[in-house]
Amino acid sequence: MTKSLNDIKSLNDTLSAERSAPRHFSFTEPYWEATKEKKVFLQYCPTTEQYQFHPRPKSIFSGSADLEWREVSGKGSVFTFTIACIGRPPFAEHVPYALVTVELDEGVRVIGNLVDCTPENIKIGMRVKPFWSPLPDGTNLLMFTPDN
Amino acid sequence: MALTDSAIVGFAEAKTALKSGRDIWEFGAEVLSSLIEYTGIEQDEIDGMLINGSMTGAGNPFWSQTTADYLGLELDFCQTVDIGGSSAVGAVARAAAALDAGLCSTILLLNIDTESSEQNARMRSFQDEFTYSHGMIGPPAEFGLLSQRYDHLYGLDFEALAKLAVTQRNHAVMNDKACEKLRKPITVDDYMNSRVIADPIRLLDCVMVCDGGNGLLMTTKKRAKEKGFSKFVVPLGYGERTNYQVANNLTDITETGHLVAGQKAFAQAKLTPKDIGSLQLYDDFLIALIIKLEMLGFAKRGHGADFVKEHNLAHDGDLPLNTGGGQISAGQPGLAGGGVNLIESVRQLMGQGGERQIKNQYLSLVTGIGGIPYGRNWSTSTALILGTEA
Repeated sequence: MTKSLNDIKSLNDTLSAERSAPRHFSFTEPYWEATKEKKVFLQYCPTTEQYQFHPRPKSIFSGSADLEWREVSGKGSVFTFTIACIGRPPFAEHVPYALVTVELDEGVRVIGNLVDCTPENIKIGMRVKPFWSPLPDGTNLLMFTPDN
Repeated sequence: MALTDSAIVGFAEAKTALKSGRDIWEFGAEVLSSLIEYTGIEQDEIDGMLINGSMTGAGNPFWSQTTADYLGLELDFCQTVDIGGSSAVGAVARAAAALDAGLCSTILLLNIDTESSEQNARMRSFQDEFTYSHGMIGPPAEFGLLSQRYDHLYGLDFEALAKLAVTQRNHAVMNDKACEKLRKPITVDDYMNSRVIADPIRLLDCVMVCDGGNGLLMTTKKRAKEKGFSKFVVPLGYGERTNYQVANNLTDITETGHLVAGQKAFAQAKLTPKDIGSLQLYDDFLIALIIKLEMLGFAKRGHGADFVKEHNLAHDGDLPLNTGGGQISAGQPGLAGGGVNLIESVRQLMGQGGERQIKNQYLSLVTGIGGIPYGRNWSTSTALILGTEA
């Protein structure tokens, strides 16, 4: 824990922030469709047998555009984190809140909010699982919560 | 060799200002006029231009030619360089290549942006879907994630970071081109007590986005000598890497493209870090300086802070660093910010540093950082070694 984090006594979540649904790319659409059923879909490159995230129009590992969508657990461990103490609308009044980079068990890193956690508990390496926050278009935003 | 056959014969910088009220092209005009006055090169001799991609110009897909038109330039080579904060440093190598290829003979390298007054960029990338939707506040949060990982692996040394903050601020106080709002001395305690933005990033770790402009004039070394320039600056080595480790999901984010860009620049120049007389390193956040000292071979991995504490980085110290204040203390004129430390390097090598003039006017290392990708560190890393020739 860094010195400055000692000053932050508790964390908010951003669940009541009025988010708008982001615009998607054609190749990110399957990801968002799956979130409607609270499922984590990742692109998988069968040629190199690796997952990738964020979604892209081709494999980042080879010249192949041949990608599969596979459902994964969304569980993983915290790779790094930050506590946002300033925010832009619609997040400004929700600070401080936690942002984490999670290393999913399938070997990709995903950035998201961490909810239901205190500044004392948040640690690199802690196990987390998906937490879904609804967006206005029926999709859900992938967040994380401690997996005790 | 193309790179070392070119010469930087002039530099110019407008005063950086927060919400200046001046149009971006006024900054361009000031920089160009100043370069013409400084070098004595006539406007109609300039037949090439490279300009940085800017936050203000982002809505105009014809940016380089429109800007050249407003400045009254008729050109044989005209191009936008859009690798973010790496654009200014990257432009030096591109200009050398264009000169070598005969595309032009005298080239303006212009860096202008008025991001604090007019931001027209829309990031057509991952942000809307995968980071802004979580309340990521852009670079401070991204550097918060990077700093926290660095802290986990090596420990963050706040004393070293504070030393960097104070040293750079002292330089900005001596720099009349620095943003006036920032030209007030700060103490170690000011740094330690500055408010947390995105833990562990504090306010005094960060740049302040401003308006401004800067530029260089380059030609071939042969032409520079023919025109009677008694002193000019020559690029000796250059390295650039975009999307370092893009296909490695589990990359160590404390390792950056400067590892390879630096090695390439030093190999090309046939020099080592020990030869370098001054450092003008791209500083959007102080932690980037610590990491770059490690990547560029000045310090072992995890020991960048030790290097900072072991050296006097002031303008009159053993290894001067960011002697104009860096972007953090002089202000970051948007995506023209990559030129701030580059111009300071040229200024110092030309012996025009005024009260903050450094002693070693031979070899200087300049870097750029451009763009922040999803979950890694930065998109483009550049390293440029400059030397003087008289």
